[in-house]
Amino acid sequence: MNFFTLAAKNLLRRRGRTLLTVLGVAIAISVLFSLLALNSGYEKELNREMNSMGVHLLAVPKGCPYEAASLIIHGGVIPKYLSARDLTNVSSIQDVELATPMLMHQFMKKDENTGKSTPHIIYGINMAEMLRLKPWWKVEGRYFADNETGVMLVGRDLAEKENLSLGQVLPAGPMRESVTIVGILERTGDQDDQFHFFPLAEAQRVFGKEGKITTIAVKVRDLSRISAVSEEMEKVPDIQVVTMTQVMGTIMNLAGSARSLLLTVIAIALIISAFGIINTLLMSVNERTREFGMMKAIGALGTDIGKMVLAETVLITLSGGMLGTVAALVGSRVIEGFVKGMLPYSPRGSFISFSPELVVFALAFSVVLGLVCGIYPAFKSSRLTPMEAIRSGLE
Amino acid sequence: MRAIIEAQGLTKVYRRGREEIFALKGVDFVAFPGEFVSIIGPSGSGKTALLNLLGCLDAPTTGGLQLGGVETSGLRERDLVRLRRENIGFVFQQFYLMPTLTARENIELPLLFSRKNGNRGQIDDILEMVGLGDRGDHLPGQLSGGEMQRVAIARAMVNDPGIILADEPTGNLDSATSEMIYKLFSELNHQGLTLIVVTHNLDLARKAQKMYTLRDGQIVGCEERTRPQR
Repeated sequence: MNFFTLAAKNLLRRRGRTLLTVLGVAIAISVLFSLLALNSGYEKELNREMNSMGVHLLAVPKGCPYEAASLIIHGGVIPKYLSARDLTNVSSIQDVELATPMLMHQFMKKDENTGKSTPHIIYGINMAEMLRLKPWWKVEGRYFADNETGVMLVGRDLAEKENLSLGQVLPAGPMRESVTIVGILERTGDQDDQFHFFPLAEAQRVFGKEGKITTIAVKVRDLSRISAVSEEMEKVPDIQVVTMTQVMGTIMNLAGSARSLLLTVIAIALIISAFGIINTLLMSVNERTREFGMMKAIGALGTDIGKMVLAETVLITLSGGMLGTVAALVGSRVIEGFVKGMLPYSPRGSFISFSPELVVFALAFSVVLGLVCGIYPAFKSSRLTPMEAIRSGLE
Repeated sequence: MRAIIEAQGLTKVYRRGREEIFALKGVDFVAFPGEFVSIIGPSGSGKTALLNLLGCLDAPTTGGLQLGGVETSGLRERDLVRLRRENIGFVFQQFYLMPTLTARENIELPLLFSRKNGNRGQIDDILEMVGLGDRGDHLPGQLSGGEMQRVAIARAMVNDPGIILADEPTGNLDSATSEMIYKLFSELNHQGLTLIVVTHNLDLARKAQKMYTLRDGQIVGCEERTRPQR
């Protein structure tokens, strides 16, 4: 027998109370663990998504706020346009390796079965340039040439969701012109999986936006020149430059307020649970003063009693920590769904990232929580003199 | 013979608000190795207070106490614990067994505190000695009152002390069980253990070699008789 088995057996005496305290800790630790997992995962996933764009800078129409830039990334449409002249100006800036125009168009498609309308995004692109930005693209079927008409490429997720296949002909634009699917992109894991891609000129024609572009995606020759290029681009009238760092920063800021709200909730949950533990322990220490007196009479030092009480606390919080961590691992999908609903922008992939370090941290945190909560009850119990303890029990 | 425990002029004053309660008023006490001493007296006469002072569970207000030749006044709590651990085993009226520990684990408890490793054989021997050879794995809730008190006596014995201090050890037991407990004490005493028993039970008290009578915190009588033959 050692102090831990003694403490564990003591805890089993009040099973209901112990279980409720453990559950309280488990809930707090589970929320903490999920938030930390979310915190690291969110940034990681966002970074990955930004990198997968293959773009260093975006030129958007002036007056378009950064929030709109995040909409563009997500496939939103803004009612302002740039012109071919702007593209020429941007392309001529030194150190710009590639400046490719894009037109975005959104339309609503009604599902025949459910009657629900869902937004669909069409990108008008220059294929040759796009492949330089995204050399990892692979296609089933073929890419289109920039001068082709009546052709499109679709993302893998879109194809699966809408049951689209190669060679299928779909109506597009106000005139419901026939467009054939010539290629289906292999899964990229980012937003591209959701889009329709048209040759730029064809998209401009079909949707009545001749000569108009929504954004210019810029690839810089040398990464260290990003800010210099950005400054040059700002000189072009009508253009506002958005760097990927800014987009990320904006998104992180927007997500930040939601995260601080979550953090507050967790802090409150942890404080409540800490007071719950201290209360439970003090109650159990007070109930057992006579027993502590007996222990001292049979040879226990004050520090032995304190150690036992501390071991009891750590056992409670550690079991709570383990339970909470397992609950967070099991319930991560539910938590992610909940959090995605709360955040203004969510990367498409799973952004709750669990790492062994995080598990260790959560468990270590629960041990520290136990030590902190156990100090006062342990000190109180260790200070009792045997006679005081025995007498107080007899009163 | 040198006394195993000796006290001179023990006084204990408790304060309750402004009131001072004299639990003991200048008590002299002596017990020799292997002696069986009983302390009797009406409720409130100071029996338990004396036993607690003798066991170093409480410090006297004035007076001196020597345990195994060591003067206890002025010792730090840590040293008192060590002295108590090595010399004294306690038996309480309420048994004070840990309900979630088996009889065997309850007996092992003092070893945990004294950082000694108890081997199974040693605990088995003690269990046999108190007549509970087959009850070691039972929880206190599965034992009778007499059996629980025997576990408590075994627990008091495990550190191999020279003295057993018992506070009303038969107070919660019927007369037949009390008789069994007395027999056990008697056997332990015959093996050389010093027994100091506080009791209301006059029959039990009279079986001791020396019987102190306390009244209002003072010794009012000390009868000595020869050790009964086995």
